[in-house]
Amino acid sequence: MTAYPKNMNPMIKTENLEKVYRTEEVQTKALNHVSLTVEQGEFVAIMGPSGCGKSTLLNLLGLLDEPDGGSLQLLGTETSRYSERQRAELRKRSLGFVFQSFNLIDELTVFENVELPLRYLGVGAAERRQRVEQVLEKMQLLHRRNHFPLQLSGGQQQRAAVARAVVNAPPLLLADEPTGNLDSASGHDVLGLLTELNEAGTTVLMVTHSEHDARYARRVVRLLDGQVVLEHSRSQF
Amino acid sequence: MLPYPLLLLYRNFKRFKGTFFINLVGLSTGLACALLIYLWVSDERSFDRYHVLDSRLYQVLENRRTAAGIETQTGTNPLLAEALRREMPELDLVATTTPVPFFPGFTLAAGGQHLNAVPKYADPAFFQLFSYPLLVGTPATVLRNKDAIVLSEALATKLFRSPQNSLGKAVEWQMADRKQTCLVAGVFADVPRNSSEQFDCVLPFAAFKNMMHLGEVIKWDDDGPFTTYLALKQGADLAQFQAKLAGLLKTKSAQAQAQAQGRTLFVRPFSAGYLHGTYENGVATGGRIVYVRLFALIAGLILVIASINFMNLFTAKASRRVKEVGIRKALGASRAALVIQYLTESVVMALLALVVAVGLVQLVLPQFSALTGKPLTLRWEWPLVAAGLALALGTGLLAGSYPAFYLSGFQPATVLKGKVPTRAGDVWTRQGLVVLQFTLSVLFIVAVVVVNAQLAFVQRQPLGYDKAHVLRFDTGGRAARQQAAFLAEVRKLPGVVQASSVLGGFLGGRHVEEMRWRGRRLPVATMLVNYDLVETMGIHLVAGRSFAPQFRADSAAILVNQTLVASLGMPDPVGQQLDGGRIVGVVRDFHYESLHEKIKPLLLQLDPSINTVLVKLQPGAEQPTIAQLQQLYAAYNPGFTLDYSFLDVDYQAQYVAERRVAVLARYFAGLAILISALGLLGLAAFTAERRRKEIGIRKALGASELGIVWLLTSSLTWLVVAAIALALPLSYLLLQRWLEGFAYRVAWQWWYFAAAGLGALLIAWLTVSVQAWRAARRHPVLSLRAE
Ligand SMILES: Nc1ncnc2c1ncn2[C@@H]1O[C@H](COP(=O)(O)OP(=O)(O)OP(=O)(O)O)[C@@H](O)[C@H]1O
Ligand SMILES: [Mg+2]
Repeated sequence: MTAYPKNMNPMIKTENLEKVYRTEEVQTKALNHVSLTVEQGEFVAIMGPSGCGKSTLLNLLGLLDEPDGGSLQLLGTETSRYSERQRAELRKRSLGFVFQSFNLIDELTVFENVELPLRYLGVGAAERRQRVEQVLEKMQLLHRRNHFPLQLSGGQQQRAAVARAVVNAPPLLLADEPTGNLDSASGHDVLGLLTELNEAGTTVLMVTHSEHDARYARRVVRLLDGQVVLEHSRSQF
Repeated sequence: MLPYPLLLLYRNFKRFKGTFFINLVGLSTGLACALLIYLWVSDERSFDRYHVLDSRLYQVLENRRTAAGIETQTGTNPLLAEALRREMPELDLVATTTPVPFFPGFTLAAGGQHLNAVPKYADPAFFQLFSYPLLVGTPATVLRNKDAIVLSEALATKLFRSPQNSLGKAVEWQMADRKQTCLVAGVFADVPRNSSEQFDCVLPFAAFKNMMHLGEVIKWDDDGPFTTYLALKQGADLAQFQAKLAGLLKTKSAQAQAQAQGRTLFVRPFSAGYLHGTYENGVATGGRIVYVRLFALIAGLILVIASINFMNLFTAKASRRVKEVGIRKALGASRAALVIQYLTESVVMALLALVVAVGLVQLVLPQFSALTGKPLTLRWEWPLVAAGLALALGTGLLAGSYPAFYLSGFQPATVLKGKVPTRAGDVWTRQGLVVLQFTLSVLFIVAVVVVNAQLAFVQRQPLGYDKAHVLRFDTGGRAARQQAAFLAEVRKLPGVVQASSVLGGFLGGRHVEEMRWRGRRLPVATMLVNYDLVETMGIHLVAGRSFAPQFRADSAAILVNQTLVASLGMPDPVGQQLDGGRIVGVVRDFHYESLHEKIKPLLLQLDPSINTVLVKLQPGAEQPTIAQLQQLYAAYNPGFTLDYSFLDVDYQAQYVAERRVAVLARYFAGLAILISALGLLGLAAFTAERRRKEIGIRKALGASELGIVWLLTSSLTWLVVAAIALALPLSYLLLQRWLEGFAYRVAWQWWYFAAAGLGALLIAWLTVSVQAWRAARRHPVLSLRAE
C-alpha cells in the first residue's frame, strides 16, 4: 500500500449530522444529530437494528448523498458545502466503497470493474494493469479476471468489489455489510482482507449486523433510530 | 481490440439486443423515408433553376376578367415582345416563343431519315435568356437567320452523327400540310430533365410569323398562345416595372383600351412557374408546391416520430441502467464523464442508423424513382450530407441528453437502489408519443382507403363515351392534306369500327368563350370535330341528329351537350341559333375533362380539316389492325412512322398524380405503422421489465396469465383508442379537402373509419400482447430472483 501523509486531523469528524427523507406522506428522520469522530487508521464497526440509519450514515460519509444539516469533515476539511465536482474528486482520490449488495457493473469484466477507479483517476494503461493484477492476485481472482460478474459466485463477486474499493489505495474504506450475502467462509476471507488493509494503514468503517463480524473491528458504534446510542472499543465489549 | 468506449457500446448492444434492434430499425427507416422525400423535394425544387440569369428571368402573364372570374393565362400577344424591347429600358433581353405542346406531328427529315421532334419557335434572344449551352454556334446569333434551325445534341447526332458535323446541313421539317427546308445553325446540349419544357429543336420565331402571316393579322386586342420571357437589367426595380407593365395595354389600340379594364399584364419569376403554376381568380394559389409541402410535412412527421421513438426507447433502456450510474459515481466518475458516455452511445447509435438508412435508400431508390417518375440518385452533395449528419447528430444528442443530464444528476445514494423516481412528465411524454404515432397511423390508413376508393370510382364512373379500343394519332403530310380520303380508307380497314378526328385530342380542357342566347350569357367550351366523332366515341345523342356530309349547311351546324341546354333553359334546343351556330342535335353529357372538373356547357363544331385522328378498333384484333394502319399511313407519307397512343392510357394519365398519392400513402401508412408498432413494442418491453417483480409476485399469489396480459395491455389499449378517436375526425377533414378536388367523388362510408380504427387497434394489440404473453408466462421464481 502506498503511504499517505499523516497529520493531526481525524479521518472523519461529524457534528450534529442530519438526514431527513421526505416522501409525499411522511418525513423520516433517518439521522438525528449524529456526532462521530474516527481517527486515522481506525477500524470501526457500525451496528444497529434494521432501518436505524446505518446505510444512510455511510452514504453521507462517502459523499454519496447530501446531509440536511450539521457538519462533516474528512481529514479536517469541511465537505458539507462541496460542489458536485469537488465531491466527485474527493470520492475518486480518497474513498473506497464496498456496497451492501455487490454492485458490480454487469457489462464489465472483473478486470474492467476493478480498473474503473483508476481510469477515473487518469492512471496510464500500463500502471493500471499492473495495479489491478496486483490486487486481483491478492484477492485470488486473477484467474477470473476476464469473467463477467454474473459468471462468478457471490463470494467471488464480493471479493471483486473489495478489490475495486482498494485498488486506488484510498485512505478511507467504507463497507456496507460486506458479508451480508456471503457464507461464513467467504465472509471470513473478506473480513481478513479488511483487517489486512487496516493494518497497512487504511481507515476502515464497516456496517454490520453480526456481532461476530464486529469483533474484527477495534471500536463499535451503535445506532438506534438515527442516533448514536453507544460507542465502545472492542476491549470494553 | 476495440477502443474502450466502443467496447462498452458493443457490450451494451449485445446485452440489449432487442432494444438495440428496434431502435435501429425505427430510426433508420424513419431517416430513410425522410431522405427519399428530401431527394424528391429537392428535385422538384431544382426545376428551371439552372439558368444563369435565374434571379432576373421573368415570364409575362395576363389576368383577364371573364364571366367565370379572373383567368390567369401564360399566353401573350407577339406584339408584346417588340413593344417591351422598344419601350422598357429596364429590360436586358426579351423573347417571344411558341409554347411547347403546340405542334402535333412535327417531323424532321434529312438524308432519307424522318424523325418526330418537338419544336419551339423563339426570338433570337432565346439562347441568351436561357442557359441551354450551345455546342455549336453562338447564343447571340444562332437564331438570326430566318432559315436557321438549332438542334438538340441527341437529334443532331441521330441525323448527322455528330453535332459538329451537322453545322450548315439542310433539314426539312414537316407539319400537317406544310413543309420547309432550313439550315442547321447550331446545336444545344440536350434539355436537362429538370426543365419544365422539353423540346428538341429551336427555330426563329420570325419564320413562324412569316409562315402564319402573323405580321398582317395580329392586333393588340388578340391574345396569342405565345409565351413572352424577359430579363430585367441588373438592379432594375421590379415593382416599378410591374406598374409600368400593368398600364401597357391601355396605351395600345383603341379596342385594347376598351378591354384594358379587364386585362392586366404582370411578370412572375420564370423558375417559380413550375411549382407555383396555379391561379384562382387572379391570385397564385399554389400548384405542385402543394404536394411538395405535403410530402415535406409527412417526412418531417415521420422523422419526428422516429426520433422521439428513438429517444424514448433509449431513455427507457437507460433507466434500467441507473444503478450503473450510481456505481460509477461512487467510484469517482465525474458528471462530465457520464454525460460523455451516454451521449457517445446515443450518437453512435444514431449514426449507425444513418448508415443503415443510406443503405435502405440505395436499395429502394429504383422503385421510388419509378414510382415518382423521376430518375433520382443519391449524390453526396454537402447540403445532403450536412442535413443527414445534422439529423442523426441532433436525434442522437437529444436522445442521449435525458440519461446524460437527468440520470447523472442524481445523488449516487438515490440511484444505487436501481430505480429512478418516475416523473409525471416522462409518463406523459411516452403516452403522448404513442397517441401521436397512432393518430398518424390511423390517418394514413384512412388516406389509403379513401384514395383507393376514389381511384376505383374514377374507373367505375360512366363517362358518357366509350374509351376502350380507341387509338389516337396526329397526321401529317399528305394524310393531313387529304384528310377526308385518308379517313375514308381508314374506315375501310377490316378491324376498324369507326374513325374521326378532333382538335388536339379528345381529352382535356377546351377553349371557352362567352356566348349569348336570348339575352342570357354563358361561358361555353368548344370542341372542333370531324364527321362521325359522336359515332366513333359512342356518345349518346338525345335529340336531333349528328353531323353528316349530305347536309351541305353543316358548316354552321353545332351539337350541344345537356348541360348547355339546361344552363340556358332552352325549352326546345334543336333548331335554335346560338352565336351564329344552328343547333342540330343534343348529346348526353360526357366527361371530356378529368373527373376533377364539372361537366361544363359544351358545343361541338364541325371542322373536317383537323388532324388528331381517333380510330375505334374492333376488340381482339388490335395488333393486325394497327399494322395495317401503319402501312396505310406509310403509303400516304413514305418514311414516316405512325406515333399512336390508346385513349384509355391517356385517360389514366389524367390521374397520374392521384395514383402516386395512392401508392405513397400506402408506403407512408406502412412505415408509420411499422415505426409506431416498434415504439409500442419497445414501450411494452420496458413496462414488462419494470414490472417484472410485480408480475412474479402476482403470479405467485395466484393471478392468471390472462389477467397479467390484460394488466400489461390495458393502459396501452386506451392510448390507442384515444389516438383513434383523435385521428378519425382529423382524417375526415383532411381527406374531404382532397376529395373536394374532384367534382365527382365517392361518398364516405362508415367502414372506412371502422377498418382504419380496428386495423390500428389490432396491430397495437398484437404488438403488445406478444410482449405481455412472454412476461406472463415467465416462471414466477425467475422473475422474483431477478431483482
Ligand atoms: N430513499 C429513501 N426515501 C425515504 N426513506 C428512506 C430512504 N432511504 C432510507 N429511508 C428510511 O430511512 C431510514 C434509514 O434507512 P437505512 O437504509 O439507512 O437503514 P439501515 O440501517 O441501513 O437498515 P438495514 O440494516 O435494513 O440496511 C429507514 O427508516 C428507511 O425507511
Ligand atoms: Mg442498510
